[in-house]
Amino acid sequence: MESREDIGAELALLPAEASASSVRQRKTLGDTFREDRFFLMLAVFIGIFSGLAVVCFRLAIDWSRIALLGPVLQPHNLRLIIAPVLVSLLLAVLVIHVFPGARGSGVNQTKSALYIFNGFIPFKTAVGKFLTAALAIGAGHSLGPEDPSLQIGASLASALGRRMNLSRERLRLLAPVGAAAGLAAAFNAPISAVLFVIEEVIGRWSAGILGSVVLSAISSVVVVRWFLGSQPLFRIPPITLARPSELIAYALLGLIGGIASVIFAKGITYFRPRFRAMPRWSQYFQPAAAGLIIGLIGYFGAPQVMGAGYEFMDQAMHDQFTWQMLAVLAGLKILATTLSFTSGTPGGMFAPTLFIGAMLGGAVRGAVGAAEIHLWGVHLAGSTGTYALVGMGVLFAGFLRAPMTSVFMVLEVSGEYSIIVPVIVANTVAYVLSRSLQPVPIFDLLSRQDGLDLPSMEEQREENILRIEDAMRPIEGPVLNSTETVLEANQRIQPSPPGTNTFLVRLRPGGWKSVTREVLQQSLNEGKSEMNLGSILSGSPLPILHPDLPLDVALRYVNQTELVPVVSRADFGKLEGVISSDAVLSKYRQ
Amino acid sequence: MFPGTTRARLKSFLSRAPVIFTILFVTAVLAFLAVSHLVTRFRLQEKALGRHLYEQGQAEYASAEPGRAIDDFRAALTYNRDDFQYQLSLARALRDSGRTPEAKTYLMNLWERAPEDGAVNLALGRLAAREGATSEAIHYYHNATYGIWDSDAEIHRRNAEFELINYLLQQNALPQAQGELITLSASLPADSELEMPIARMFDRAGDLERALSEYQSILRHDRQNATALAGAGQAALQLHRYGTAEKYLGEAAKLDPQNMPLQQSLESARLILQADPFSRGLSDAERNSRVRDAFNRAGQLLGECAKLHGVSFQDSDQTEDSFSADLISLQKSWSDLKPKLRQPSALAEPDTADSIMTLVFQIEEGTQNKCGPPTARDRALLQLALNPQGADQ
Repeated sequence: MESREDIGAELALLPAEASASSVRQRKTLGDTFREDRFFLMLAVFIGIFSGLAVVCFRLAIDWSRIALLGPVLQPHNLRLIIAPVLVSLLLAVLVIHVFPGARGSGVNQTKSALYIFNGFIPFKTAVGKFLTAALAIGAGHSLGPEDPSLQIGASLASALGRRMNLSRERLRLLAPVGAAAGLAAAFNAPISAVLFVIEEVIGRWSAGILGSVVLSAISSVVVVRWFLGSQPLFRIPPITLARPSELIAYALLGLIGGIASVIFAKGITYFRPRFRAMPRWSQYFQPAAAGLIIGLIGYFGAPQVMGAGYEFMDQAMHDQFTWQMLAVLAGLKILATTLSFTSGTPGGMFAPTLFIGAMLGGAVRGAVGAAEIHLWGVHLAGSTGTYALVGMGVLFAGFLRAPMTSVFMVLEVSGEYSIIVPVIVANTVAYVLSRSLQPVPIFDLLSRQDGLDLPSMEEQREENILRIEDAMRPIEGPVLNSTETVLEANQRIQPSPPGTNTFLVRLRPGGWKSVTREVLQQSLNEGKSEMNLGSILSGSPLPILHPDLPLDVALRYVNQTELVPVVSRADFGKLEGVISSDAVLSKYRQ
Repeated sequence: MFPGTTRARLKSFLSRAPVIFTILFVTAVLAFLAVSHLVTRFRLQEKALGRHLYEQGQAEYASAEPGRAIDDFRAALTYNRDDFQYQLSLARALRDSGRTPEAKTYLMNLWERAPEDGAVNLALGRLAAREGATSEAIHYYHNATYGIWDSDAEIHRRNAEFELINYLLQQNALPQAQGELITLSASLPADSELEMPIARMFDRAGDLERALSEYQSILRHDRQNATALAGAGQAALQLHRYGTAEKYLGEAAKLDPQNMPLQQSLESARLILQADPFSRGLSDAERNSRVRDAFNRAGQLLGECAKLHGVSFQDSDQTEDSFSADLISLQKSWSDLKPKLRQPSALAEPDTADSIMTLVFQIEEGTQNKCGPPTARDRALLQLALNPQGADQ
């Protein structure tokens, strides 16, 4: 993970005249293209370039793996120990001295770019991430290519945006656009990528950027499919849910997956700050130490935990391992990924998360089947592949805490919507359990460890949003009509409490104004007693609000007038209450 | 390099949206071409690597090392994961190394992709046969028989059918095996290479008639085929067609004089023929002599058997068990017929000879396995009892 200082150092490279030139740019482009259209077109190109970069990245990983570990991953091969150790030593030097921005997964760095550095991610980071992550994964570190792809995409987008001299606001938004493109290309799943970027990178729903994010994700996936084919990451076996009672087994998977997610997250958040607190010289050897342990795991019988492990997920989905072996692989993968990630080796956590989930899913299927739990009425019709697939979603929901992405990811990867009920059941169990045992999500914990406070979708979900209905109060005194005379209005306000000075006037055919005691009295004194109330009121009508609007909307209006009418959305003439600046402030003070 | 105004104009020109997108488009096309070249080269390398690993696996599989072959096939699949042949080879290796569930999963995946593929169905049939799932095995073997094969379809289909029949014979499902054999034999060309296994399988299935017919079919265009001669002789012997058996066995024994079982079968056939008084072309004297010899042997057998079991023919009322009673009854019949044998004119009547031989066959059958080991002559008479007209068939 890149620290605030690392990013700050690179921020100095941002052209000083960027914002000034952006003004100039807006003018030039405004003759032919509106900036939003320009931005959408740019999103397509970002998708294309990110797709091309991810294709090259995947080739680089495959190539480095063949070159470093050999074409066949078999135990008792010394390469499995030597390659990770030597490559890790090189990686440590590169990450510490050449590409400090390449450290970590890349998700939080992209988020930091969006919220702290105005969308600025140095191009050097893309190059560094490409090289170091390809080498790390190829050498057997238990990390995945998705998060680095996300960061590479974001970095390319940022570099392209800077070349275009875009406004700061647009430049800021380019990072998630590139991130979605990179992730979509890596996953071959555009919907999941868009959702993940919204859930984890942007951290809030923003309709303004959605179009660009979707366009870039789609175009990058088209590019990747052009080159690497449209087949999904895994060969999906037939999916069946014969009886609803089997959902109990899926809930059990959610439970076990939730616990595994918490162990995984706790492991990472416990070791990471401790490793980083160790003397600087030890940073050169931490990746090598992690590589050595992972190499030994591979050497002594479990080479499946090395690298991203997609081919082994595929094998697990097709009953190629016993359930005991699947359980062991899940445990070893948690250990290996914790070591790889906390040692500062560049690479992502998506693939390991999916790996652990797939293995756990398969293991639960095998164990429940072996225990013949169908005696209690739970008949297991689902194949190991189905459980492995659901398991992937479970870990995604429990560990990465991206519940929407977790559901859509499984659907998109499998192309099978009949799996949705087991996925939702298992994911919900895992998500709820993980949240209760570890309230702060892993990406937020990592950013806090780096001294950053970035917005979080989960926190946003937790927030109790104040609405106008929480601060509004009933009207005191009568509601006047613009058609009645000044005399009648004056008579009607007489019974009102002495402190009530301002009264609302309902206009015909629509709208609201206000009038004070003083104005009415003055009109009577001027001999306007028989005039319509509407004719003596000057100025524009009052703004109106609705009860369900967020309270901060009221802040824009309460300073313009003493009372703002809160009316029904169905009938603007029907007054639900009034809101004043005092009421808003007192509500916030609570 | 450029004067100030030109530079400003160029900058202004380059900042126009159409120009920017044209530059981006051209860059994208160039990048596309470069990546395309890179991907093509890499894929070729991967394919070559996959092929190399596959061939290595094939060699290991051929040298009965399915465990090592599995690793290579799996590695080959990582470089070309949808290759049907690699998957099929992996499934076969898994099956042969006893990892049946894994093999089945792989094969079922392949079957779902190509349910009409002969090789996949054959592999599934073998797997089901190994698991003892007979109906499943028959289903897949049948699919293989009628399935699609990449090359030499006829040969593959025929071999699958042969394999199915062999499996049914091993399972002792003889009626099903016979049914398959009849279908197969009807579709085969006249080729001794194909008819021979069919004949043997008919033999194993207990359909001796069709087995003999197949052997004879072979002999029609290959008269000196020792295997077919021996097979035909044995089948005829079991069908109690002793004349035919002696003919084929005799010719086979000439071609293969060292074959002891063949010699023994021939000897049996000859003994039967020599003991048979009903053969056509025998002189009266010879026929009478054979009848007398058989009758005397039957009397001798009764005496030996009575002695062995302590049965007294004099004190016939004392006996309690049925075997002794049968012996006494047979002895009485034998004694009743004995005077007729002394009259040459009586033997000239066919009825007398028939009734004598019937009694001889009854005595041989009644004392079989109860009065010590039968002599070669007894065995011959017992065989003759099964088909008294066998010498002329």
